[in-house]
Amino acid sequence: MEMKTAKKRGLSFYLSIYKKILAQDLKSKMSYRADFFISTFGMVLTNISGFITFIILFHNFPSVNGWDYHHMLFLYGFSLIALTPVQCFFDNNWNLRFMVRSGDFIKYCFRPINVFFYFISEVFDVKGLGQFVFGLGTFIYAWAHIGIPVTVVTVAEAAIFLITASLFMIALMNFAAATCFWIINSGYVMVIMFRFKDFAKYPSSIFNSVFRFIFTFLIPIAFVAYYPSLVFVTPDHVPLLSWLSPFIGSLFFFLSYKFWMLGVRKYDFTGS
Amino acid sequence: MTGLKKKTALTRAGIIESLQFRLSTAVMLFANLIYLALVYFLWKAIYDSSGVDVVNGMTFYDTMIYLILATAIFNLLEMFIVWDMSRAIQSGEIIMHLLKPMRYRLYTFWSYSGAHVNNFFLSFVPTFIVVVVITKGAIPIGINLLYFMVSLLLALIVNFNIEMLVAPVCLYTQSTWGINIVKETVVLLLSGASIPLAFFPEGLRQAVEYLPFRAVYDIPLTVLLAKNGTDSLSGLLPKLGIQLFWCVLLSVCGNLFWNHAVKKITVNGG
Repeated sequence: MEMKTAKKRGLSFYLSIYKKILAQDLKSKMSYRADFFISTFGMVLTNISGFITFIILFHNFPSVNGWDYHHMLFLYGFSLIALTPVQCFFDNNWNLRFMVRSGDFIKYCFRPINVFFYFISEVFDVKGLGQFVFGLGTFIYAWAHIGIPVTVVTVAEAAIFLITASLFMIALMNFAAATCFWIINSGYVMVIMFRFKDFAKYPSSIFNSVFRFIFTFLIPIAFVAYYPSLVFVTPDHVPLLSWLSPFIGSLFFFLSYKFWMLGVRKYDFTGS
Repeated sequence: MTGLKKKTALTRAGIIESLQFRLSTAVMLFANLIYLALVYFLWKAIYDSSGVDVVNGMTFYDTMIYLILATAIFNLLEMFIVWDMSRAIQSGEIIMHLLKPMRYRLYTFWSYSGAHVNNFFLSFVPTFIVVVVITKGAIPIGINLLYFMVSLLLALIVNFNIEMLVAPVCLYTQSTWGINIVKETVVLLLSGASIPLAFFPEGLRQAVEYLPFRAVYDIPLTVLLAKNGTDSLSGLLPKLGIQLFWCVLLSVCGNLFWNHAVKKITVNGG
Protein backbone atom coordinates (compact mmCIF):
# COMPACT_ATOMS: atom_id res chain seq x y z
CA MET A 1 0.00 0.00 0.00
CA GLU A 2 2.56 2.55 1.15
CA MET A 3 4.82 1.60 -1.68
CA LYS A 4 2.16 2.40 -4.27
CA THR A 5 1.44 5.89 -2.98
CA ALA A 6 5.18 6.47 -2.71
CA LYS A 7 5.70 5.73 -6.38
CA LYS A 8 3.31 8.48 -7.40
CA ARG A 9 5.23 11.23 -5.61
CA GLY A 10 7.51 13.31 -7.77
CA LEU A 11 11.15 14.13 -7.34
CA SER A 12 10.38 17.66 -6.12
CA PHE A 13 8.26 16.25 -3.32
CA TYR A 14 11.15 14.08 -2.13
CA LEU A 15 13.62 16.95 -2.41
CA SER A 16 11.47 19.18 -0.23
CA ILE A 17 11.07 16.39 2.33
CA TYR A 18 14.82 15.78 2.29
CA LYS A 19 15.52 19.46 3.00
CA LYS A 20 13.21 19.39 6.02
CA ILE A 21 14.69 16.21 7.47
CA LEU A 22 18.20 17.50 6.82
CA ALA A 23 17.51 20.71 8.73
CA GLN A 24 16.25 18.73 11.73
CA ASP A 25 19.27 16.45 11.65
CA LEU A 26 21.73 19.35 11.52
CA LYS A 27 19.97 21.09 14.41
CA SER A 28 20.18 18.02 16.59
CA LYS A 29 23.85 17.54 15.67
CA MET A 30 24.74 21.12 16.51
CA SER A 31 23.35 20.66 20.01
CA TYR A 32 26.43 18.50 20.65
CA ARG A 33 28.94 21.06 19.45
CA ALA A 34 32.06 19.48 20.94
CA ASP A 35 31.21 16.13 19.39
CA PHE A 36 30.60 17.82 16.05
CA PHE A 37 33.99 19.49 16.02
CA ILE A 38 35.92 16.48 17.30
CA SER A 39 34.27 14.24 14.71
CA THR A 40 35.06 16.65 11.91
CA PHE A 41 38.62 16.92 13.16
CA GLY A 42 38.84 13.12 13.32
CA MET A 43 37.66 12.79 9.74
CA VAL A 44 40.21 15.32 8.51
CA LEU A 45 42.85 13.49 10.52
CA THR A 46 42.08 10.13 8.87
CA ASN A 47 42.51 11.80 5.49
CA ILE A 48 45.79 13.40 6.51
CA SER A 49 47.00 10.09 7.91
CA GLY A 50 46.09 8.32 4.68
CA PHE A 51 47.92 10.99 2.76
CA ILE A 52 51.03 10.72 4.95
CA THR A 53 51.06 6.95 4.41
CA PHE A 54 50.82 7.60 0.70
CA ILE A 55 53.70 10.10 0.76
CA ILE A 56 55.90 7.79 2.84
CA LEU A 57 55.22 4.96 0.41
CA PHE A 58 56.29 7.05 -2.59
CA HIS A 59 59.24 8.44 -0.67
CA ASN A 60 60.60 4.87 -0.68
CA PHE A 61 59.12 3.51 -3.91
CA PRO A 62 58.84 5.94 -6.84
CA SER A 63 56.31 3.91 -8.85
CA VAL A 64 53.86 1.06 -8.42
CA ASN A 65 53.22 -1.24 -11.34
CA GLY A 66 53.86 1.47 -13.92
CA TRP A 67 51.78 4.05 -12.06
CA ASP A 68 53.91 7.04 -11.08
CA TYR A 69 53.32 9.49 -8.26
CA HIS A 70 50.87 11.81 -10.02
CA HIS A 71 48.86 8.99 -11.57
CA MET A 72 48.54 7.30 -8.19
CA LEU A 73 47.55 10.65 -6.72
CA PHE A 74 44.84 10.94 -9.37
CA LEU A 75 43.50 7.53 -8.40
CA TYR A 76 43.67 8.47 -4.73
CA GLY A 77 41.77 11.73 -5.22
CA PHE A 78 39.22 10.01 -7.44
CA SER A 79 38.54 7.37 -4.80
CA LEU A 80 38.20 9.96 -2.03
CA ILE A 81 35.58 11.90 -4.01
CA ALA A 82 33.74 8.76 -5.09
CA LEU A 83 33.63 7.55 -1.47
CA THR A 84 32.13 10.82 -0.17
CA PRO A 85 28.43 10.24 -1.00
CA VAL A 86 28.31 6.94 0.89
CA GLN A 87 29.74 8.75 3.90
CA CYS A 88 27.53 11.85 3.68
CA PHE A 89 24.17 10.54 2.54
CA PHE A 90 24.06 6.86 3.44
CA ASP A 91 25.57 6.83 6.90
CA ASN A 92 22.32 5.76 8.55
CA ASN A 93 22.87 2.25 7.16
CA TRP A 94 25.20 1.76 10.14
CA ASN A 95 22.24 2.19 12.50
CA LEU A 96 19.98 -0.18 10.60
CA ARG A 97 20.87 -3.31 12.53
CA PHE A 98 20.19 -1.66 15.90
CA MET A 99 16.83 -0.34 14.69
CA VAL A 100 15.82 -3.70 13.26
CA ARG A 101 16.85 -5.54 16.38
CA SER A 102 15.14 -3.21 18.83
CA GLY A 103 11.99 -3.00 16.71
CA ASP A 104 12.27 0.76 16.27
CA PHE A 105 12.52 0.20 12.55
CA ILE A 106 8.75 -0.31 12.33
CA LYS A 107 8.20 3.47 12.52
CA TYR A 108 9.66 3.87 9.02
CA CYS A 109 7.11 1.49 7.59
CA PHE A 110 4.14 3.56 8.72
CA ARG A 111 4.89 6.69 6.72
CA PRO A 112 3.37 7.39 3.32
CA ILE A 113 6.81 7.76 1.73
CA ASN A 114 9.39 5.33 0.44
CA VAL A 115 10.87 3.42 3.38
CA PHE A 116 14.42 3.38 2.01
CA PHE A 117 14.32 7.09 1.25
CA TYR A 118 12.91 7.99 4.65
CA PHE A 119 15.40 5.85 6.55
CA ILE A 120 18.46 7.02 4.59
CA SER A 121 17.48 10.69 4.58
CA GLU A 122 17.33 10.79 8.36
CA VAL A 123 21.09 11.23 8.74
CA PHE A 124 23.37 13.54 6.80
CA ASP A 125 26.98 13.16 7.82
CA VAL A 126 28.56 16.60 7.61
CA LYS A 127 32.09 15.43 8.37
CA GLY A 128 32.19 13.60 5.04
CA LEU A 129 32.47 17.02 3.41
CA GLY A 130 36.03 17.38 4.70
CA GLN A 131 36.93 14.27 2.75
CA PHE A 132 35.28 15.75 -0.33
CA VAL A 133 37.32 18.96 -0.14
CA PHE A 134 40.51 16.98 0.47
CA GLY A 135 39.76 14.60 -2.39
CA LEU A 136 38.85 17.40 -4.79
CA GLY A 137 42.10 19.22 -4.04
CA THR A 138 44.14 16.08 -4.66
CA PHE A 139 42.16 15.30 -7.80
CA ILE A 140 42.63 18.77 -9.34
CA TYR A 141 46.34 18.86 -8.41
CA ALA A 142 46.95 15.46 -10.04
CA TRP A 143 44.79 16.38 -13.04
CA ALA A 144 46.90 19.48 -13.67
CA HIS A 145 50.22 17.67 -13.24
CA ILE A 146 49.32 14.81 -15.56
CA GLY A 147 48.23 17.42 -18.09
CA ILE A 148 44.73 16.16 -18.83
CA PRO A 149 43.07 18.78 -21.08
CA VAL A 150 40.30 20.85 -19.52
CA THR A 151 37.41 20.86 -21.98
CA VAL A 152 33.65 20.70 -21.63
CA VAL A 153 33.83 17.03 -22.56
CA THR A 154 36.47 15.98 -20.02
CA VAL A 155 34.86 17.92 -17.17
CA ALA A 156 31.43 16.49 -17.98
CA GLU A 157 32.98 13.03 -18.17
CA ALA A 158 34.65 13.55 -14.79
CA ALA A 159 31.34 14.56 -13.22
CA ILE A 160 29.46 11.60 -14.68
CA PHE A 161 32.12 9.04 -13.86
CA LEU A 162 32.63 10.34 -10.32
CA ILE A 163 28.91 10.27 -9.56
CA THR A 164 28.36 6.80 -10.99
CA ALA A 165 31.52 5.47 -9.33
CA SER A 166 30.11 6.52 -5.97
CA LEU A 167 27.11 4.25 -6.59
CA PHE A 168 29.28 1.15 -6.24
CA MET A 169 30.27 1.77 -2.64
CA ILE A 170 26.75 2.91 -1.77
CA ALA A 171 25.33 -0.29 -3.24
CA LEU A 172 27.88 -2.45 -1.42
CA MET A 173 26.99 -0.86 1.90
CA ASN A 174 23.26 -1.23 1.14
CA PHE A 175 23.77 -4.93 0.56
CA ALA A 176 25.91 -5.29 3.67
CA ALA A 177 23.50 -3.35 5.87
CA ALA A 178 20.43 -5.20 4.60
CA THR A 179 21.90 -8.55 5.67
CA CYS A 180 20.75 -7.63 9.18
CA PHE A 181 17.17 -8.38 8.14
CA TRP A 182 18.22 -12.03 7.93
CA ILE A 183 21.24 -12.36 10.22
CA ILE A 184 21.13 -10.98 13.75
CA ASN A 185 24.00 -8.67 14.64
CA SER A 186 25.46 -8.67 11.13
CA GLY A 187 27.54 -5.57 11.77
CA TYR A 188 30.73 -7.40 10.89
CA VAL A 189 29.56 -7.74 7.26
CA MET A 190 29.50 -3.95 7.05
CA VAL A 191 32.86 -3.65 8.78
CA ILE A 192 34.43 -6.04 6.26
CA MET A 193 32.92 -4.30 3.24
CA PHE A 194 34.00 -0.96 4.62
CA ARG A 195 37.57 -2.20 5.01
CA PHE A 196 37.72 -3.22 1.36
CA LYS A 197 37.31 0.40 0.34
CA ASP A 198 40.94 0.93 1.43
CA PHE A 199 41.92 -0.95 -1.69
CA ALA A 200 39.92 1.25 -4.04
CA LYS A 201 42.83 3.67 -4.25
CA TYR A 202 45.26 1.17 -5.80
CA PRO A 203 45.34 0.08 -9.46
CA SER A 204 43.57 -3.27 -9.77
CA SER A 205 46.25 -4.42 -12.18
CA ILE A 206 48.41 -5.31 -9.15
CA PHE A 207 46.14 -8.24 -8.27
CA ASN A 208 46.23 -11.69 -9.81
CA SER A 209 43.40 -12.82 -12.07
CA VAL A 210 41.34 -14.41 -9.29
CA PHE A 211 41.25 -11.29 -7.17
CA ARG A 212 40.81 -9.06 -10.20
CA PHE A 213 37.72 -11.10 -11.04
CA ILE A 214 36.41 -10.83 -7.48
CA PHE A 215 36.95 -7.07 -7.37
CA THR A 216 35.37 -6.56 -10.76
CA PHE A 217 32.32 -8.79 -10.61
CA LEU A 218 31.68 -9.89 -7.02
CA ILE A 219 32.81 -7.07 -4.75
CA PRO A 220 33.23 -4.35 -7.40
CA ILE A 221 35.79 -2.22 -5.55
CA ALA A 222 37.76 -1.80 -8.79
CA PHE A 223 34.93 0.34 -10.17
CA VAL A 224 35.21 2.89 -7.36
CA ALA A 225 38.32 4.46 -8.87
CA TYR A 226 40.41 2.18 -11.08
CA TYR A 227 38.17 1.53 -14.10
CA PRO A 228 36.67 5.03 -14.33
CA SER A 229 40.11 6.62 -13.85
CA LEU A 230 41.45 4.84 -16.92
CA VAL A 231 39.18 7.03 -19.05
CA PHE A 232 41.31 10.03 -18.04
CA VAL A 233 44.70 8.50 -17.35
CA THR A 234 45.09 6.33 -20.46
CA PRO A 235 42.63 7.90 -22.92
CA ASP A 236 44.16 6.00 -25.86
CA HIS A 237 43.26 2.54 -24.68
CA VAL A 238 40.30 2.52 -22.36
CA PRO A 239 38.87 -0.93 -21.62
CA LEU A 240 35.22 -1.54 -22.38
CA LEU A 241 34.46 -2.02 -18.66
CA SER A 242 35.46 1.60 -18.02
CA TRP A 243 32.92 2.92 -20.52
CA LEU A 244 30.28 0.57 -19.15
CA SER A 245 30.92 1.48 -15.51
CA PRO A 246 28.14 4.15 -15.29
CA PHE A 247 25.57 1.60 -16.41
CA ILE A 248 26.91 -1.17 -14.22
CA GLY A 249 26.93 1.24 -11.28
CA SER A 250 23.30 2.23 -11.82
CA LEU A 251 22.25 -1.40 -12.16
CA PHE A 252 24.20 -2.43 -9.07
CA PHE A 253 22.65 0.36 -7.04
CA PHE A 254 19.18 -0.61 -8.24
CA LEU A 255 19.78 -4.24 -7.24
CA SER A 256 21.01 -3.23 -3.80
CA TYR A 257 17.89 -1.10 -3.36
CA LYS A 258 15.69 -4.07 -4.29
CA PHE A 259 17.59 -6.30 -1.87
CA TRP A 260 17.18 -3.73 0.91
CA MET A 261 13.45 -3.44 0.24
CA LEU A 262 13.15 -7.23 0.16
CA GLY A 263 14.55 -7.19 3.68
CA VAL A 264 11.97 -4.61 4.71
CA ARG A 265 9.16 -6.79 3.40
CA LYS A 266 10.56 -9.73 5.28
CA TYR A 267 10.75 -7.58 8.39
CA ASP A 268 7.07 -6.64 8.03
CA PHE A 269 6.10 -10.27 8.22
CA THR A 270 8.08 -11.10 11.34
CA GLY A 271 7.64 -7.79 13.13
CA SER A 272 5.59 -7.92 16.25
CA MET B 1 44.16 -15.70 46.19
CA THR B 2 40.45 -14.80 46.16
CA GLY B 3 41.42 -11.64 44.29
CA LEU B 4 42.90 -13.69 41.53
CA LYS B 5 39.89 -15.98 41.47
CA LYS B 6 37.57 -13.03 40.95
CA LYS B 7 39.67 -11.94 38.00
CA THR B 8 39.94 -15.32 36.33
CA ALA B 9 36.17 -15.65 36.68
CA LEU B 10 35.88 -12.53 34.56
CA THR B 11 38.32 -14.03 32.05
CA ARG B 12 36.23 -17.18 31.82
CA ALA B 13 33.02 -15.21 31.36
CA GLY B 14 34.72 -13.24 28.59
CA ILE B 15 35.82 -16.40 26.79
CA ILE B 16 32.33 -17.87 26.93
CA GLU B 17 30.74 -14.60 25.86
CA SER B 18 32.91 -14.12 22.80
CA LEU B 19 32.51 -17.77 21.78
CA GLN B 20 28.80 -17.06 21.45
CA PHE B 21 29.41 -15.24 18.20
CA ARG B 22 30.88 -18.14 16.25
CA LEU B 23 29.52 -17.11 12.87
CA SER B 24 30.98 -13.64 13.16
CA THR B 25 34.33 -15.10 14.26
CA ALA B 26 34.41 -17.42 11.24
CA VAL B 27 33.45 -14.68 8.81
CA MET B 28 36.01 -12.31 10.33
CA LEU B 29 38.71 -14.96 10.02
CA PHE B 30 37.87 -15.48 6.36
CA ALA B 31 37.78 -11.74 5.70
CA ASN B 32 41.16 -11.37 7.36
CA LEU B 33 42.62 -13.97 5.02
CA ILE B 34 41.35 -12.05 2.00
CA TYR B 35 42.69 -8.85 3.49
CA LEU B 36 46.09 -10.47 3.95
CA ALA B 37 46.07 -11.59 0.32
CA LEU B 38 45.42 -7.99 -0.70
CA VAL B 39 48.30 -6.71 1.38
CA TYR B 40 50.47 -9.38 -0.22
CA PHE B 41 49.61 -8.33 -3.80
CA LEU B 42 50.00 -4.66 -3.03
CA TRP B 43 53.49 -4.99 -1.56
CA LYS B 44 54.53 -7.55 -4.15
CA ALA B 45 53.70 -5.02 -6.86
CA ILE B 46 55.48 -2.28 -4.91
CA TYR B 47 58.67 -4.32 -4.50
CA ASP B 48 58.55 -5.63 -8.08
CA SER B 49 58.34 -2.08 -9.44
CA SER B 50 61.21 -0.86 -7.29
CA GLY B 51 63.68 -3.27 -8.90
CA VAL B 52 65.67 -3.80 -5.68
CA ASP B 53 65.27 -6.47 -3.03
CA VAL B 54 66.02 -4.52 0.12
CA VAL B 55 64.52 -1.11 0.88
CA ASN B 56 65.54 0.59 4.12
CA GLY B 57 66.77 -2.72 5.51
CA MET B 58 63.43 -4.40 4.82
CA THR B 59 63.02 -7.22 2.32
CA PHE B 60 59.65 -8.04 0.80
CA TYR B 61 59.20 -10.88 3.31
CA ASP B 62 60.16 -8.64 6.24
CA THR B 63 57.58 -6.07 5.19
CA MET B 64 54.92 -8.73 4.67
CA ILE B 65 55.52 -10.37 8.02
CA TYR B 66 55.59 -7.02 9.74
CA LEU B 67 52.32 -5.79 8.22
CA ILE B 68 50.42 -9.06 8.51
CA LEU B 69 51.38 -9.56 12.13
CA ALA B 70 50.71 -5.90 12.87
CA THR B 71 47.17 -6.46 11.57
CA ALA B 72 46.94 -9.65 13.63
CA ILE B 73 48.07 -7.79 16.76
CA PHE B 74 45.60 -5.03 15.97
CA ASN B 75 42.77 -7.58 15.86
CA LEU B 76 44.06 -9.23 18.98
CA LEU B 77 44.28 -6.06 21.03
CA GLU B 78 41.14 -4.39 19.73
CA MET B 79 39.11 -2.93 22.56
CA PHE B 80 35.92 -0.93 22.47
CA ILE B 81 36.36 0.86 25.78
CA VAL B 82 35.44 4.27 24.35
CA TRP B 83 32.16 2.84 23.07
CA ASP B 84 31.50 0.78 26.19
CA MET B 85 32.05 3.73 28.45
CA SER B 86 29.85 6.14 26.54
CA ARG B 87 27.10 3.55 26.22
CA ALA B 88 27.31 2.77 29.93
CA ILE B 89 26.98 6.47 30.69
CA GLN B 90 24.07 7.02 28.32
CA SER B 91 22.12 4.12 29.78
CA GLY B 92 23.15 4.86 33.36
CA GLU B 93 24.68 1.40 33.65
CA ILE B 94 27.96 3.03 34.71
CA ILE B 95 26.52 3.35 38.23
CA MET B 96 26.34 -0.42 38.52
CA HIS B 97 30.00 -0.67 37.47
CA LEU B 98 31.04 1.92 40.04
CA LEU B 99 29.20 0.10 42.79
CA LYS B 100 31.01 -3.16 42.11
CA PRO B 101 33.60 -4.19 44.70
CA MET B 102 36.36 -3.80 42.15
CA ARG B 103 37.86 -0.72 40.60
CA TYR B 104 36.32 0.11 37.24
CA ARG B 105 39.69 0.11 35.46
CA LEU B 106 40.57 -3.30 36.83
CA TYR B 107 37.12 -4.67 36.08
CA THR B 108 37.32 -3.49 32.45
CA PHE B 109 40.78 -4.94 31.99
CA TRP B 110 39.84 -8.36 33.28
CA SER B 111 36.50 -8.56 31.52
CA TYR B 112 38.35 -7.97 28.24
CA SER B 113 40.98 -10.59 29.03
CA GLY B 114 38.68 -13.43 27.93
CA ALA B 115 38.26 -11.93 24.48
CA HIS B 116 42.03 -11.47 24.29
CA VAL B 117 42.67 -15.11 25.13
CA ASN B 118 40.17 -16.19 22.46
CA ASN B 119 41.57 -13.84 19.85
CA PHE B 120 45.05 -15.07 20.57
CA PHE B 121 44.26 -18.72 19.95
CA LEU B 122 41.61 -18.36 17.24
CA SER B 123 43.05 -15.52 15.24
CA PHE B 124 46.64 -14.68 16.07
CA VAL B 125 48.11 -18.20 16.28
CA PRO B 126 46.55 -19.40 12.98
CA THR B 127 47.75 -16.23 11.22
CA PHE B 128 51.19 -16.69 12.70
CA ILE B 129 51.39 -20.32 11.51
CA VAL B 130 50.30 -19.35 8.00
CA VAL B 131 52.97 -16.65 7.91
CA VAL B 132 55.67 -19.04 9.15
CA VAL B 133 54.76 -21.61 6.50
CA ILE B 134 54.49 -19.13 3.63
CA THR B 135 57.69 -17.22 4.36
CA LYS B 136 59.66 -20.44 4.90
CA GLY B 137 61.88 -19.65 7.83
CA ALA B 138 62.02 -15.86 7.66
CA ILE B 139 60.80 -15.85 11.27
CA PRO B 140 63.40 -17.43 13.58
CA ILE B 141 61.82 -20.05 15.85
CA GLY B 142 63.49 -20.12 19.22
CA ILE B 143 63.76 -18.23 22.48
CA ASN B 144 62.56 -15.09 20.65
CA LEU B 145 59.02 -16.52 20.73
CA LEU B 146 59.12 -16.45 24.52
CA TYR B 147 60.49 -12.90 24.53
CA PHE B 148 57.76 -11.98 22.10
CA MET B 149 55.06 -13.25 24.46
CA VAL B 150 56.42 -11.05 27.25
CA SER B 151 56.60 -8.10 24.90
CA LEU B 152 53.09 -8.76 23.61
CA LEU B 153 51.72 -8.82 27.14
CA LEU B 154 53.34 -5.46 27.83
CA ALA B 155 51.95 -4.17 24.52
CA LEU B 156 48.51 -5.26 25.64
CA ILE B 157 48.84 -3.30 28.87
CA VAL B 158 50.15 -0.21 27.07
CA ASN B 159 47.26 -0.43 24.61
CA PHE B 160 44.75 -0.81 27.43
CA ASN B 161 46.19 2.24 29.14
CA ILE B 162 46.00 4.32 25.97
CA GLU B 163 42.34 3.31 25.66
CA MET B 164 41.64 4.14 29.29
CA LEU B 165 43.37 7.47 28.93
CA VAL B 166 41.28 8.42 25.91
CA ALA B 167 37.89 6.99 26.90
CA PRO B 168 37.10 9.42 29.76
CA VAL B 169 37.41 12.31 27.28
CA CYS B 170 33.93 11.33 26.14
CA LEU B 171 32.67 12.22 29.61
CA TYR B 172 33.63 15.83 28.99
CA THR B 173 32.76 16.14 25.32
CA GLN B 174 29.86 13.72 24.71
CA SER B 175 31.75 12.56 21.65
CA THR B 176 32.28 8.88 20.96
CA TRP B 177 32.82 8.32 17.28
CA GLY B 178 35.07 11.36 17.02
CA ILE B 179 37.27 10.47 19.98
CA ASN B 180 37.57 6.91 18.81
CA ILE B 181 38.53 7.76 15.24
CA VAL B 182 41.17 10.27 16.40
CA LYS B 183 42.68 7.67 18.73
CA GLU B 184 42.63 4.91 16.15
CA THR B 185 44.14 7.04 13.38
CA VAL B 186 46.95 8.36 15.56
CA VAL B 187 47.79 4.93 16.99
CA LEU B 188 47.73 3.13 13.64
CA LEU B 189 49.89 5.68 11.86
CA LEU B 190 52.46 6.40 14.56
CA SER B 191 52.83 2.81 15.75
CA GLY B 192 53.90 1.63 12.32
CA ALA B 193 50.87 -0.60 11.87
CA SER B 194 49.85 0.82 8.50
CA ILE B 195 53.37 1.35 7.16
CA PRO B 196 56.51 -0.01 8.88
CA LEU B 197 58.46 2.57 10.90
CA ALA B 198 61.59 1.62 8.94
CA PHE B 199 60.13 3.41 5.90
CA PHE B 200 59.49 6.67 7.76
CA PRO B 201 61.69 9.63 6.87
CA GLU B 202 64.49 10.05 9.40
CA GLY B 203 63.07 13.06 11.30
CA LEU B 204 59.63 11.58 11.68
CA ARG B 205 61.04 8.25 12.79
CA GLN B 206 63.08 9.85 15.55
CA ALA B 207 60.03 11.76 16.76
CA VAL B 208 58.00 8.56 16.86
CA GLU B 209 60.70 6.89 18.96
CA TYR B 210 59.70 9.10 21.87
CA LEU B 211 56.00 8.28 21.69
CA PRO B 212 54.26 5.35 23.41
CA PHE B 213 52.66 3.97 20.24
CA ARG B 214 55.63 1.98 19.03
CA ALA B 215 55.48 0.01 22.26
CA VAL B 216 52.23 -1.51 20.97
CA TYR B 217 53.27 -2.78 17.52
CA ASP B 218 56.83 -2.00 16.61
CA ILE B 219 58.63 -3.39 19.67
CA PRO B 220 56.82 -6.77 19.85
CA LEU B 221 57.35 -7.28 16.11
CA THR B 222 61.01 -6.33 16.26
CA VAL B 223 61.45 -8.81 19.10
CA LEU B 224 59.60 -11.51 17.20
CA LEU B 225 61.75 -11.04 14.10
CA ALA B 226 64.85 -10.95 16.36
CA LYS B 227 66.00 -7.73 14.70
CA ASN B 228 68.10 -4.86 16.14
CA GLY B 229 69.93 -7.23 18.48
CA THR B 230 66.83 -8.23 20.44
CA ASP B 231 67.85 -11.89 20.33
CA SER B 232 70.35 -11.19 23.12
CA LEU B 233 69.32 -10.07 26.58
CA SER B 234 71.39 -6.89 26.38
CA GLY B 235 69.47 -5.85 23.28
CA LEU B 236 66.14 -7.08 24.54
CA LEU B 237 65.98 -5.59 28.03
CA PRO B 238 66.10 -1.90 26.96
CA LYS B 239 63.18 -2.56 24.60
CA LEU B 240 61.11 -4.23 27.30
CA GLY B 241 62.19 -1.41 29.62
CA ILE B 242 60.66 1.14 27.25
CA GLN B 243 57.42 -0.81 27.24
CA LEU B 244 57.42 -1.10 31.02
CA PHE B 245 58.10 2.61 31.32
CA TRP B 246 55.05 3.43 29.21
CA CYS B 247 52.93 0.91 31.15
CA VAL B 248 53.71 2.68 34.41
CA LEU B 249 53.53 6.25 33.13
CA LEU B 250 50.29 5.78 31.19
CA SER B 251 48.60 3.90 33.98
CA VAL B 252 49.47 6.60 36.52
CA CYS B 253 48.13 9.29 34.17
CA GLY B 254 45.09 7.18 33.36
CA ASN B 255 44.31 6.67 37.04
CA LEU B 256 44.57 10.38 37.82
CA PHE B 257 42.45 11.31 34.83
CA TRP B 258 39.80 8.71 35.62
CA ASN B 259 39.58 9.83 39.26
CA HIS B 260 38.91 13.33 38.04
CA ALA B 261 36.53 12.30 35.26
CA VAL B 262 34.42 10.03 37.41
CA LYS B 263 33.23 13.04 39.36
CA LYS B 264 31.95 14.57 36.13
CA ILE B 265 29.56 11.73 35.39
CA THR B 266 26.00 12.90 35.15
CA VAL B 267 23.34 10.34 34.42
CA ASN B 268 20.03 11.69 33.22
CA GLY B 269 16.97 10.00 34.64
CA GLY B 270 17.03 6.65 36.27
